[in-house]
Amino acid sequence: MTSPKRLSQEQQRSLERRLKAGDERALAELFDVVAPWILGLAFRMLRDEDEAEEVVSDVFVQVWRHIDQHDGARGPLVPWILSIARNRSLDALRRRRRWWRKAAHLEQGHAAVASDIAPAASHEAAVPGWPLHREVHAALAALAEEQRRVVVLSYFEGLSHREIARRLHQPLGTVKTRLRMAHQKLTESLRHLRDWVE
Amino acid sequence: MTDWLGMLAPPRTPRPELKERVLARALARRRWRGSLAAAALITLAIGGGAWWAYRTIDTLTTERDGLAARVRALEDTVSTFIHAPTTQVIQIPVSTGGRVGSVTIFADSVHRRWLVRCDGLAPNARDQAYQLWFITDRGMATAAVMPMDQDKPMVMGLETPGADQRVMGAAMSIEPRAGSASPTGPMVFHRLL
Repeated sequence: MTSPKRLSQEQQRSLERRLKAGDERALAELFDVVAPWILGLAFRMLRDEDEAEEVVSDVFVQVWRHIDQHDGARGPLVPWILSIARNRSLDALRRRRRWWRKAAHLEQGHAAVASDIAPAASHEAAVPGWPLHREVHAALAALAEEQRRVVVLSYFEGLSHREIARRLHQPLGTVKTRLRMAHQKLTESLRHLRDWVE
Repeated sequence: MTDWLGMLAPPRTPRPELKERVLARALARRRWRGSLAAAALITLAIGGGAWWAYRTIDTLTTERDGLAARVRALEDTVSTFIHAPTTQVIQIPVSTGGRVGSVTIFADSVHRRWLVRCDGLAPNARDQAYQLWFITDRGMATAAVMPMDQDKPMVMGLETPGADQRVMGAAMSIEPRAGSASPTGPMVFHRLL
């Protein structure tokens, strides 16, 4: 198995400084590090390779133009980029009016949901960030099944609380409680993740 | 919560051409903005230059019009002097510094104006000047101090003294550079009209 790339805290800070200084090579390096994760996230949400690549493109344009808006004191760079990717993917879902088709796809069974969030195959272990991927999966797996399900519907499908309640035939209050508890547990489990360190 | 949930999705290896496409788009936007900024600067510079040129042309036009009006007025004045029936023309040969020149006076006694032209006067020493005098019934009155530094003709218009004095003639002497209250230096000419 190929050993994963390593990106130390100092390297990450240096990369961010170079991006803010307008170093074009830094953007290329950032692509090598995070593009697989942005593409994976966008594909998971959009289920369309072309749309997912468009999201990747949008994300890098936004990062390049607005890197100054990232406050390192408020959080690491990679989660900030992933949140942009998620928002862009949700925008694409809404803009392209494919929401209900995707939702219908989900309706085919919760087994699909479970398989969608399974860890990546081991041959992907060379991708930077692999250990983080495993840790986040472990944190999600530690949740109760019903909590895990609402997290996935909320995060990846962008469903509102009310829509999740309708989808799962559960009371709205139950959905809110499950999401709150899930977020508390995830926050606790992932508290130690500070940087893109492997 | 820091958004680590994005790491849940399995990574996907981008197609090789995606990197090139993404970077080209991101960097092109930045370069386009740079070009736009440069274009804006150039436009600003051209606009500023045009404004400056407009202002300069406007100023020069005003100045030209003013000068043209002044020339016309001077032409009128000279014409009046030359052609007025009351104008008396006196030409006085002078010798200064070993050379021969002349002083021509167009004297308009009605309007109390003189037009004086000096030709061929030798340039003054650094601390000296020619001084023109009115010879009146009350004595000498200064008409003009004329430092002559170059060998060029000199023309000047003068107002003669008030009605309480009668101008009887003209004289010219060499005086200190700042002029004198009454003639003290060598007399260049002394002429009664």
